[in-house]
Amino acid sequence: MTPLVFCLLLFGTVPIAVVLALSAIVYIAESGNIILFDSFAQQMFSGLENYGLLAIPLFMLTGELMNEGGITEKLIRAARVFVGGFRGGLAWINIVANMFMAAIIGSAVSQIAIMSRAMVPAMAEEGYDPGFAAATTAAGGLLAPVIPPSMLFIIYGVLAQIPIGSMFLAGIIPGILLFLGFAAVITVLGLISPFPRNEWMSARESVRALVESLPAALIPASIISAILFGVATPTESAAIASVIAFFLGMFVYRHLKLSDIGRVFLRTAQNSALVIFMIATANVFGWVIIYEAIPQKLATLITSITADPFVFLLIVNGVLLFVGMLIDGIAAIILVTPILLPIAMGSYGISPFQFGVVISINLILGLLTPPVGVGLYIASAMSDVKPVQIFKALWPFLLASLIVLLILSRFPVLSTGLI
Amino acid sequence: MSSLHKASSVWARIEIVSATGFAGAITALILLNVVTRAFDRSIYWVDEAAIYAMAWMTFLAASSSVHYGHSVAVSLLLDFASGRMARVITRCADACVFIFAVAMVIFCWRWYRPDALIAAGFDLEAFQGQTFNFIYAEPTTLGIQKAWIWLVMWAFSFGVLFHSAANLSLAFRPDSAKEPEQ
Repeated sequence: MTPLVFCLLLFGTVPIAVVLALSAIVYIAESGNIILFDSFAQQMFSGLENYGLLAIPLFMLTGELMNEGGITEKLIRAARVFVGGFRGGLAWINIVANMFMAAIIGSAVSQIAIMSRAMVPAMAEEGYDPGFAAATTAAGGLLAPVIPPSMLFIIYGVLAQIPIGSMFLAGIIPGILLFLGFAAVITVLGLISPFPRNEWMSARESVRALVESLPAALIPASIISAILFGVATPTESAAIASVIAFFLGMFVYRHLKLSDIGRVFLRTAQNSALVIFMIATANVFGWVIIYEAIPQKLATLITSITADPFVFLLIVNGVLLFVGMLIDGIAAIILVTPILLPIAMGSYGISPFQFGVVISINLILGLLTPPVGVGLYIASAMSDVKPVQIFKALWPFLLASLIVLLILSRFPVLSTGLI
Repeated sequence: MSSLHKASSVWARIEIVSATGFAGAITALILLNVVTRAFDRSIYWVDEAAIYAMAWMTFLAASSSVHYGHSVAVSLLLDFASGRMARVITRCADACVFIFAVAMVIFCWRWYRPDALIAAGFDLEAFQGQTFNFIYAEPTTLGIQKAWIWLVMWAFSFGVLFHSAANLSLAFRPDSAKEPEQ
């Protein structure tokens, strides 16, 4: 009965957090263990009593402050210094600026929204196919949940009970690989059908662009160095980053006004509550997973198929690619981590860091694939390009992501090497 | 807009403004933690206070999101449904949220047992002896009982109940589609 209710509600447009709670209620009622209802609300609340979760609103706040603070424009100009003169300069600028933004914003959806507005019209004006322009921007957004700070990694770290700082470090090499994969796609596409030629900035302009963007680099630098040197926890580094973002926006770039602050905090509360509330209800849904011994049953099934960790990861990748197409990445990671992580660690000896990186990249690909593909629709809405047109230009980037995913599944050291 | 929906709108506004305040409190508390720790003068209750501020922010904003229609859901069915069918699906989803809210109110009642507390004349020892429920004995580092902190679950449950009832009431006004606010 519970699986049926779960599927009906899930595909019946019921909010995922409510699906989890109602499924747990049906399961408890069905099992007759109704004493659990006495502590149901408490169990939901206790799902939030985790210091690591505080990083979610704080990183969201940093992202919001940077959006309001006029950082995007500065980062795009900085990217122009490095790659602006190449043939297809704007496509390169797009990917490089996306990498810079990924080190500040932890959410792919926010990044795609910001960058689509900034980059797609500029690329279309210079003669790029609008579908390709939007696809490049949307693909660049996939770097956000991999390059630290990453919202997805924070949530995974909390669920897996592993240090979030180490999880951030685990994302650095995979993020660079993903960037190189996208860069390779642009190179190959540029060879097939030449992109417009651009000019390098003058030395004077370059220095100015770099100097202007330098303060913005303080944010990722402060986050990573504070975590690396043990000066602050990821949560504290997020708070420090938000203060830096505030001062940059107010006094350096002067785009941020005091009157914007209320709106910034309101959006922070709204957006972070969406995510954290799912974690609260996932805590009661955890009862279903524990009492039904789902990881153990699934482990018995999968270990009878293979004993090889790589093959296991291939199976997981195949299943999750499908899951990611249907369910939002954050919701999916909340759902699958408690089920699959014990199998990965217990039966196959896979590092929780490698597993986290692999499933996170896998699930974010769903952002750009129909039918759910939120990122695809956001890129479409922000750039006025039809989703079909974007998807047609997107597949080489998705293919590159899949290749990176396979490499990360095969070589754990790429995720664990920096920890 | 029905008067129920208007009231829901006002209540959602109160909830989201309060949640915004808690988001500010989280930032202030964590920064206080950073500063005091840097001077080797850590304050022991700050972490716990920040976590509770996050919980209050989450549950208040989650309740208001029922009114504003912000949620993460698989909208596959809705995308392929016709206008009339889409309305039916939306109302069914609203009904599920309402059922969840009713269940939450019942769970809060079973948890706090206000009936048994009144019957025990607010004598906590007698209440605990009769019910084996120790909710009112749980301490925090903030110097108040945790039962006060957990009150947000009541606010959340009644808030969701109120907003989902208001959303459902729109089903009886076929001419008025729900307009997203903000």
